[in-house]
Amino acid sequence: MPSHKRKKKHLKHKHDKTRQSSKQHPNSRTRSSSRSSSRSRSRSSSRSNIDCDYGTKNLKCKERIRPRSRSTSDSDEGLRKNSFSRSHSKSNSFLEGLNTNDNKHSRSCDKREFSKQKADIESPVATPLDWNFDFRKFKYSLGKIFLTDKYFSKITDRGSQEHDDFWAFVSRYQDFQKKKLQRSQGSNMCEDSNEEKPGLQLGLPQKYDVQYKVNISFRSKEFDIFLKKNRLVDHQLEKELTRDRVIQFRTILIHFLDFQQKQKFQKLHKIQHDQRNLPIYMYKQEIVDTLKKYQVVVVAGDTGCGKSTQVPQYLLEAGYEKIACTQPRRIACISLSKRVGYETLNEYGSQVAYQVRFEKSKTAATKVLFLTEGLLLRQMTTDPLLEMYSVIVIDEVHERHIFTDFLLGVLKCILMQRKDLKLVLMSATINIGLFSGYFNNAPVIKVPGRLYPIELEYCPITRDDTSDSRRLDPTPYLRVMQKIDHKYPSSERGDLLIFLSGMSEIMSVVEAARAYAQQMKRWIVLPLHSALSVEEQDKVFDIAPEGVRKCIVSTNIAETSVTIDGVRFIVDSGKVKEMSFDPKYKMQRLQEFWISRASSEQRKGRAGRTGPGVCYRLYDEADYNDFQDYSTPELQRVPLDSLILQMISMGLPDARKFPFIEPPSISSLENSIQFLKEQGALTSDESLTPTGQMLSMLPVDVVIGKMLIMGSIFNMIDPILSITAAMSVQSPFTNKAYTDSEAMTARKPLESDHGDPFTLLNAFDEWIQVKAQGQGTRKWSKRRGLEEQRFYEMMKLKRQFSDLLRDHHLLDGGEPTQRYLSSEQRRAQHGERKRLAQLRKEKMRERKRRKVLTLEDEEYKISDEEEDSKEGDIKDLEFRLSNDLSQLQETSNRSRSLTLRDVNLVKIILCSGLYPQVAIADECNTYKRDSEQAFHTKSKPFLLLHPTSTFAANPDVLMPKDAGGKRPAPSDLKGLMSAKHELFAYVSLLETNNKPYLVNTMRVPALQTVTLFSNCIDTNSDCTRLLCDGWLELKFPEAETAEKVITSILTLRSTWYALLKVSLLDEASAEIWGQFTHGMQRHWICPGCGVAMVVSVLERLQHQAACSGEGGEGLKATEAAEEEKEKEKELNPHRKPYHCQDCGETLSLTTTEILRHRKSHSAGTSASN
Amino acid sequence: MEKRFICGRCDFTAGYHYKGRQPPFANSIMLLEDCYIMKDPFSTFGGFITIGGNCSLCFKDVCVSADCSLFYTQRFCLKCAYLNLKEFPKTLQQEILSRTNWDDKS
Repeated sequence: MPSHKRKKKHLKHKHDKTRQSSKQHPNSRTRSSSRSSSRSRSRSSSRSNIDCDYGTKNLKCKERIRPRSRSTSDSDEGLRKNSFSRSHSKSNSFLEGLNTNDNKHSRSCDKREFSKQKADIESPVATPLDWNFDFRKFKYSLGKIFLTDKYFSKITDRGSQEHDDFWAFVSRYQDFQKKKLQRSQGSNMCEDSNEEKPGLQLGLPQKYDVQYKVNISFRSKEFDIFLKKNRLVDHQLEKELTRDRVIQFRTILIHFLDFQQKQKFQKLHKIQHDQRNLPIYMYKQEIVDTLKKYQVVVVAGDTGCGKSTQVPQYLLEAGYEKIACTQPRRIACISLSKRVGYETLNEYGSQVAYQVRFEKSKTAATKVLFLTEGLLLRQMTTDPLLEMYSVIVIDEVHERHIFTDFLLGVLKCILMQRKDLKLVLMSATINIGLFSGYFNNAPVIKVPGRLYPIELEYCPITRDDTSDSRRLDPTPYLRVMQKIDHKYPSSERGDLLIFLSGMSEIMSVVEAARAYAQQMKRWIVLPLHSALSVEEQDKVFDIAPEGVRKCIVSTNIAETSVTIDGVRFIVDSGKVKEMSFDPKYKMQRLQEFWISRASSEQRKGRAGRTGPGVCYRLYDEADYNDFQDYSTPELQRVPLDSLILQMISMGLPDARKFPFIEPPSISSLENSIQFLKEQGALTSDESLTPTGQMLSMLPVDVVIGKMLIMGSIFNMIDPILSITAAMSVQSPFTNKAYTDSEAMTARKPLESDHGDPFTLLNAFDEWIQVKAQGQGTRKWSKRRGLEEQRFYEMMKLKRQFSDLLRDHHLLDGGEPTQRYLSSEQRRAQHGERKRLAQLRKEKMRERKRRKVLTLEDEEYKISDEEEDSKEGDIKDLEFRLSNDLSQLQETSNRSRSLTLRDVNLVKIILCSGLYPQVAIADECNTYKRDSEQAFHTKSKPFLLLHPTSTFAANPDVLMPKDAGGKRPAPSDLKGLMSAKHELFAYVSLLETNNKPYLVNTMRVPALQTVTLFSNCIDTNSDCTRLLCDGWLELKFPEAETAEKVITSILTLRSTWYALLKVSLLDEASAEIWGQFTHGMQRHWICPGCGVAMVVSVLERLQHQAACSGEGGEGLKATEAAEEEKEKEKELNPHRKPYHCQDCGETLSLTTTEILRHRKSHSAGTSASN
Repeated sequence: MEKRFICGRCDFTAGYHYKGRQPPFANSIMLLEDCYIMKDPFSTFGGFITIGGNCSLCFKDVCVSADCSLFYTQRFCLKCAYLNLKEFPKTLQQEILSRTNWDDKS
């Protein structure tokens, strides 16, 4: 057996790491000769050279292939390699011959290396190797032989994805080979003959083997050594790891490399393939060309046409470099930037980046930036013409958010000044004419969406049984479910999505549908609305088992915000509950409306995302035709306070003249301007006050912003941060919190007598405590009907708020100094970090597979298993790592030990933002549970407590305090003089089901609140009667008390104003002043009245304030009050008029302390309505 | 600077960083043909992706997608593979036939 011998010889003396080099060996001579001559040789002559080559090779081939036919092995690697190498090198020379002038194809780089290592790896055994060997057991040794190069370091890293992938590949490959071996043994059919067929010119190996299809190989020094010496230099190999096995492993590794390359290419190819299959791809050139010609282009395309991801890329490709793409939602910015980064193969670069309120990934290299509309507007305060961008893309213009509309107006102005700026508006195919017309008939490019046909059926509800009009009748919805059951076999998949207007409607349909589902066993009914916990919401994405459909009963949240795949049937009630805003009462109103035609089409479209669908409309076609064309833009539905404040700070002084695309009502504008004036944010001539200046810089609601400012001025920031954060997120109380009696009892200790803001504060602090004690907060939250997610959000917001305040120097100190950790703590932290990484990885994998629902899944149960929620664990660990729990616990302990005095201060701070949002109780209230208590505000009488309020459950705490503990008859209360009268500050008014409610209420002392914050106080001559803001009247029994009260009020108000001025105008020096106010006295002549005096800074400020009258506060006092002020000037500010002897003694109070102090002593006067 | 690779068959296009047999980002790797190589954009760690090569017969740039080319000891664009169908072993002939599109066959 000559060939066999030869092989052995090869093995002994020559070995090779790669098949690549092996292909060189049989005719390296030929190769070099052809190469040396190829440059000058003509094409034909080189061919002849090859031909003669070919002959000799074929000879060799025959000779060598013979033994192979005897072996049944599929893996006789050496043989394969030999024949392969021959043909390959042949083709190489052939190639070179043809390419005489083109040295692109010549391989000179590694020629020498090849000849050095020309040898084959051949198997000396004749019997084929089985594939049953467990290579996993020898990971370490195999790693030593093959994977020492840096390129493989991921494979050897046991925690990495590539490591897992590789070993999974190894077992798959082995399984595959095993099966293949069985098959070939079973049939013993060999399709490809080894015989030479005549007339073949390419010299390809005729015995097919998958190895020939691999174009990759690798080198490993250790492997060479192993081949030479059968061992490694520095590592003892296991004896099971025979030479054959090692060579076998090498084959697997090569196949893995090939597989990996193919996989990666596939990924790359798929991206491009998908991009080209998007409907918008056809319009790529048109979009780019039109934008070159015109300044503004409208791209209108329906969902799924790809505009949001593709247009920014088209612009980038067209050479634009400073591209801003706005999105109405923050999450969309982040996910789009990720997606576009991925598609432009910049996943890890920052060419495509995002920037949202508190986060950014933008760098100097960024060319495409996704940002929120609000942020782009904010950038205009520093860059009024947006010169940092050359193209601005505004996505989802049709959604008409308040900032979208504002941005459109602002850009219209900027475009006139910047002819080089390009603007792309992207919209659904709704109301395109409006946008195009607004920008001087800008060209419109219409892109069809990718939708499957949708069958439409009108099934109007016949109203014969409208006896109970309050509750929605679920029968029509059940009828549709039955219809689906009859008409479509359960083997055809496809879920049902029902659009209803609100939560109670959802509840009644869900209830009925579940009863039906129980009976049929063919449905899983899932509600979907924003008050559900995150986990419950996520259930709608899970998959129903075979033969069962999901029935998702949703609000309009599923219309645009949440997209569920696999929906085939739609039931559209045609109704929506929408928040409207009544500027007259500053009241939000949740009302049921017919939807617009646009959103009815949108709802229908949800059925055709993944296949043809059916839409049942539970109204008449005539109704449909009567629908409004489009939904009302947000601008016309919400308070405009923040918007106007921002406009003024951007240098647009008159909102009434702003070119809105569709202007809001004049009354809405005027009301907001009035409100801002009342809040002390605008002066009477509508310019910004220092407070207004600061508020315009804080990207939060005016009310919240004011609380934050005051909270930092009065050093009471932590509870204020918690409360404002809680007010800015959705309530952590799920609707279960108010229905489940167990949850209600468990929650009892959290409830505060003082009101809802304090209940929120307690809940949050308690949550931190539980967390700090290392207990499961998830279970804790669930038991109390709380949504834990909200607390994490609050935590984030709190931090963001304090960062904001720090940025504007309202809060001192940078980040808390580095904590010192013991080695044990460090170790624990390291452990947590590791666990976090692992959990994240697991979750990523899990996410790939959607869970399959079971029929029981619709029941939402409180389970004690905490371990099943990785999400929760991840959040928990993230939280622990990013926060110093012990420190948090400390602050929360502090807020637990709030004294009454502190509570009062917190109330005052909250009121500073909330005022004039106060209500007074009706005199006839019974304060009994189960009866409704009425309240009145200045503009709106007879408001009720919202059922979620702490007070609604315990109305007795609202009882007037001077009643002596007995429940007085309403008639007794009438006209009663009380020193402890209380008002109710509220965060908002909300009208649902035609009942107006106070939301988020808090008890506040009446006299102090009103006198401190009202914008105008009218008095009689001896000040025994005060009429505050024209509706609340205070009466004093004695003129002396009245005098004292008035005096202190004036002192306080001027000090308050001065303090604000100092804090906001002179941020940097304010602190120092605070410290030295009392020590430093100097001569000063008041420019107002020309009196020379020796005063402290504080006194000076007070004098100034007094001298310059009421200043921007808008305090409008009567003549009597003027007199009081004169008196006040003479009074030593120390002489705090009433109560507490302490005050008289502690003369050197800081301004802060004066105010703080004052809050706690506030009895002794009487007030009445 | 990044150069651009355009597949002669499917218009697949991508920037490439290197052409040859020894990708500069992976020292131990050797390729058996001259390939267009790009750095792996999906990994922070390094690595590369083989995106295409030259057909050994017509020298066209072709991507490594199954619809465009085939590697069997050397690279063939599917058209050349189809034209030289007889040169391939039977198993592969079937594969080539199933992969080639009508344009190539006509």
